[in-house]
Amino acid sequence: MSEPGVTAARRAASEGLRALWTLALVLVGTAALLWALDAVPGWLRGEPRGVRRASTVEEAERQLRARLMLPAYFPDTYRWPPKAIRLTRDEGGSVALAFDARDGTPSLFLAETVGGTGPLGAGLLPEAAVIQQQRAGLGEGSTLSRIVGEDGTLWNQLEWTAGGRHFVLRGRGPLEGLTRMARSIHGVVR
Amino acid sequence: MAAARWVDFAGQAIFHTLVAALVIEALVRLWGVRAPSQRMGFRLLALAWPLLVVPTLFLLFPQREGEAFREGQALFSARRWDDVTFLGAGLYAWWITGMALAGLALLLLDLVPLLRSRAAAPPPLPPATPEGERVRGALGEAARALGMRVPPLAYFPAGPAVLYCTGARRPVVVVSRAAVDLLDDAELRGALAHELAHLEHRDPALSWALMGARGLMWFNPGAQVLVRALARDAERLADERGAAATGDRLALASALLKLYRATGGSYEAPADRARPLFSSLAEPIARARAHDIELRCRALLGPRPEPLRVSLLRLAAVGAGLFLLLFHVV
Repeated sequence: MSEPGVTAARRAASEGLRALWTLALVLVGTAALLWALDAVPGWLRGEPRGVRRASTVEEAERQLRARLMLPAYFPDTYRWPPKAIRLTRDEGGSVALAFDARDGTPSLFLAETVGGTGPLGAGLLPEAAVIQQQRAGLGEGSTLSRIVGEDGTLWNQLEWTAGGRHFVLRGRGPLEGLTRMARSIHGVVR
Repeated sequence: MAAARWVDFAGQAIFHTLVAALVIEALVRLWGVRAPSQRMGFRLLALAWPLLVVPTLFLLFPQREGEAFREGQALFSARRWDDVTFLGAGLYAWWITGMALAGLALLLLDLVPLLRSRAAAPPPLPPATPEGERVRGALGEAARALGMRVPPLAYFPAGPAVLYCTGARRPVVVVSRAAVDLLDDAELRGALAHELAHLEHRDPALSWALMGARGLMWFNPGAQVLVRALARDAERLADERGAAATGDRLALASALLKLYRATGGSYEAPADRARPLFSSLAEPIARARAHDIELRCRALLGPRPEPLRVSLLRLAAVGAGLFLLLFHVV
């Protein structure tokens, strides 16, 4: 190739690269802007991505298009209705209900999946560290854990699978009451 | 299709148009796209988004509407904004309502004057007077310069200075006596060459097709604005073609300026400006029109814009990039 031809080819290649670089910058900038725009509602409500709130059990059922399985036995040491209902609709959907004790302290969480026995939606339950775990008498694979909650206190947590759903029941109160509530979800109160 | 799906379709059509138009406008400026035909190509790509790409995405990829996609793969989910409420309704619902109203207002702003102007009686043929002969002669010269047949000519013996082409099936150039009196021979030839360039590109038919697209996308303000931008590009394309054919860019710029000044840049009759909606919009519209005329004149006073190299490849790259991006916007 002659000298001017090589120069022209180099100039064209450099122009092409510059054009591609500009296109990539504009697209990446737009993607970043869209990502930020997507995160704003969560920031405004103080919730992680994908977690929504419902004001009543009925509204949660409407959003999830499924009936929630709730305990028939509910000790009067807790307040009804739930203080907060948070749900995710990915992976078939899951929901977490938070209850306060009569004195107003957060004392009980009931979480369940509604579309399969997969894991609960991320961010539904508060972070907790498991310090001890053993089998529970709620069917195959069920566990009883001692956990340290965000507030630094010890909680009991039951986790089991039944009726095509995955359940987690976490409470501060006596273990007997928690187990009784868990059994009552499936109509067995002992 | 369920109502919720129609709402999602409208929301995506609006949002995709906005994103596609903003990306394309940024690239048009950053790449320095100056040739009107190439600018039209890029803007047509943006307009294709709500008209072709969004319906295709809905038909071929229904999984995009599922919760798993929205929560797991989507880069942006507009429905998330429904979680934030204002006066009892989600912000997404407010946004769609506001956009639809803005889209409808923009459509009516152009559609109403268009329909009213079509109701007017067609103008007669030019008489065998010196003015009539002068305009016939200038039209013949312009048509020869563009290598096309001389179209029928219609003539307003009275009224304001107007010069335009019309007719999708039977194209005709319309000129008024006031315009003929206003322009010298070179200006008249340049202005008529501009109108013939519109006919050469079948712009009257294209403008009806674009008006149809606007009707379909009545709820989409981005599409309404894009069609207006395309109309401006078509004007500049006709400017360039007409000026290239007559070889006198200055004469066309002068004709544009004279005709604009003669009509006072008015968008509508004074009676219409007294109406509440129009009076609030008349000022910005007049200012935008003045700015547009100024830009067209500036472009004509400069040299013919250089076309961008490998334009089609760039267009394809933008289309592919936008598709990848907007596939993940629901």
